[in-house]
Amino acid sequence: MRTRGAVLLASIITGLALGYTVTNIGFGDYAELNRMFTFQDPRMLLSFVGAVVIIVCAFALLRVRRTPGRIHAGVVPGALLFGTGWAISGGCPAIPIIQVASGYLPALITIVGVIVGMRLCRWANARYFHLDRGSCGL
Amino acid sequence: MSTYWPWWAGAVGLALVTINHTLSTDRSLGVSAAWDRVLHWRRERQLERMDDEFTDDQALAEALAAATAEHFGTTATTTSTVPQVPYGTSQPPGAEAGSAASEGPAATSLRPAPLITQAVLLVSIFLGGLIAAVTSGRFHLRFDMGPGFRNLVTADSATMIAVLFAGGVLVGFGTRLAGGCSSGHGLSGCGRLRPVSIVATAVFFGTAVAVSFLLWKVI
Repeated sequence: MRTRGAVLLASIITGLALGYTVTNIGFGDYAELNRMFTFQDPRMLLSFVGAVVIIVCAFALLRVRRTPGRIHAGVVPGALLFGTGWAISGGCPAIPIIQVASGYLPALITIVGVIVGMRLCRWANARYFHLDRGSCGL
Repeated sequence: MSTYWPWWAGAVGLALVTINHTLSTDRSLGVSAAWDRVLHWRRERQLERMDDEFTDDQALAEALAAATAEHFGTTATTTSTVPQVPYGTSQPPGAEAGSAASEGPAATSLRPAPLITQAVLLVSIFLGGLIAAVTSGRFHLRFDMGPGFRNLVTADSATMIAVLFAGGVLVGFGTRLAGGCSSGHGLSGCGRLRPVSIVATAVFFGTAVAVSFLLWKVI
């Protein structure tokens, strides 16, 4: 169990490092993103895949828990919507933040869209879907 | 203006961020979950206050199960012997807790990170991005999304606003419906070899590839 202060400090370090890293990789640059998704330039794709490989090895060495998770009914439809939104707007939830930080002011509209979408999802789930969707934040 | 990092530097950077976060917070990194909790801060604060009132996990789990049942509009099951669904958007951790008992260090707390740390995470991402943009000479205030977006999607301002808003809604709705995004499912989840994360990442990446090819070659 980590103390509140330790988690707070770790969150600051994570946020700064994540924002710095994804900006320098080029995830906020729409042209770079499209080149990754269309395999014209493998650089960013290799960054992502390479990171996953390192994390898998590190978690195995450190014996970090392998959590099975449950493939619920919202996973595939949600991922389809997310993939479409990421390709057309250039933003996954962290990216519009670093786009604004890089000076792309229209990314504020993407952030407004993300906020509306998340509120809409919580409302729709409570009213219609009743899915336990899991959380990557645990 | 400097060029972007080579692939190996990006891989090491993303991996270090994810590993360090997991080990130092006892939790997985998830930006969409942080967004979701900050956006619904009133309810999350209420749950945190409940959290503070309970000293043992069993009593906490039963209270949260009741709150979750109210949120989802289903019947509460207060007779369970394992934590059912702590916090409205999280999954039952009982099976995971059980499997962890025989696998050494857990490195995943059953309780969500304090709400304030999630808000701080989002603000820090902004500051980290700002530092990177300024120090690399790429910071430039502009009212468009750059030449790539202009050439591939639209050069019209009104259409750009509509596309960005619609894309944002899809991202927000989709990530929460799928239970994670490129950091939560893509890095943390795939890093843990979670089947749900591997499926989600394959689907959202595959969809993004298909839509990007459409934008590049067709539209």
